[in-house]
Amino acid sequence: MDSVRSEAPRRAPQTTRPELVALKVLVAGGFGVGKTTFVGSLSEIPPLSTEEHMTVASVGVDDADAVPDKRTTTVAMDFGRITVDDSMILYLFGTPGQDRFWFMWDELARGAVGAIVLVDLRRVDDSFAAIDYFENRGLPFVLALNDFPNTPVFSNASVRDALVLTGDCPVLHLDAREAKSSRSALVALVEHALARA
Amino acid sequence: MSSHEARDPEATWRVVPVYALTRGRTRSAGEEMPIEAMVTANELADRHNPALQVEYREVLALVSGPVSVIEIGAALRVPAGVARVLVSDLANAGYLVMHLPPAAEENGRPNAELLERLLDGLRSL
Repeated sequence: MDSVRSEAPRRAPQTTRPELVALKVLVAGGFGVGKTTFVGSLSEIPPLSTEEHMTVASVGVDDADAVPDKRTTTVAMDFGRITVDDSMILYLFGTPGQDRFWFMWDELARGAVGAIVLVDLRRVDDSFAAIDYFENRGLPFVLALNDFPNTPVFSNASVRDALVLTGDCPVLHLDAREAKSSRSALVALVEHALARA
Repeated sequence: MSSHEARDPEATWRVVPVYALTRGRTRSAGEEMPIEAMVTANELADRHNPALQVEYREVLALVSGPVSVIEIGAALRVPAGVARVLVSDLANAGYLVMHLPPAAEENGRPNAELLERLLDGLRSL
């Protein structure tokens, strides 16, 4: 009996303290679009990675594994932290990009302030899945165009057209390597969420 | 969070599979705890510490100040779901103070007051 339960005290001590608040923002977008860079530019701790082990059906997966039906896979999820004030912490979660891990997003999205969808204009198709997801769930999001070198220049109106944006989500440019730039995107998201609160 | 850096990455890979740490449980008992929920050890943690299973002691060692479930997972090199089970056990046994998320709006999202505070904080960073 080395379980924690066997050591349970008889009298319950204080076990909740509601005044400390943790909020979260999701950072989404296709592979290589700059999610980890974005989290790293804002986080006060080096971005940490948590690995989620899960069994997934191998349908459609290029798989040399001898086990035919299922396999265990590992999804790495980056996250960072910002101390907002003396009793508020904001967590940034870089969402796992692959389509087959959408179910993980439901838990992440629950209670979130909103999402930053990073877009590489050279590969806009990669951001459709994230945009669809947040539109369907009514979660506030901003579209942040990560300005890579040699990124073609389009007006925000044509970007909206290209991405078939139906809602009122703000579209902005950023350099995910720059803290100031990344912070502006975060501020734009919170303003947008507040306008919809 | 110095304990993050203190761990030797080569030396901490587990031999015991993670599901064994939680005796097969992947869901915590009681209320659903978000992975960003923060916990802090209380005074009971010190008194009962030596009798606990090593994974519980590892969690308690991390949370002398408020630390989130997901950070505990990263420090222990276990999935967030496993960290949640360990944290939940300790909380149910009375060793942890849980800083639960504020009551949310109907849509589950933070209310305007919290968003204003967040905005003020971000602008003054």
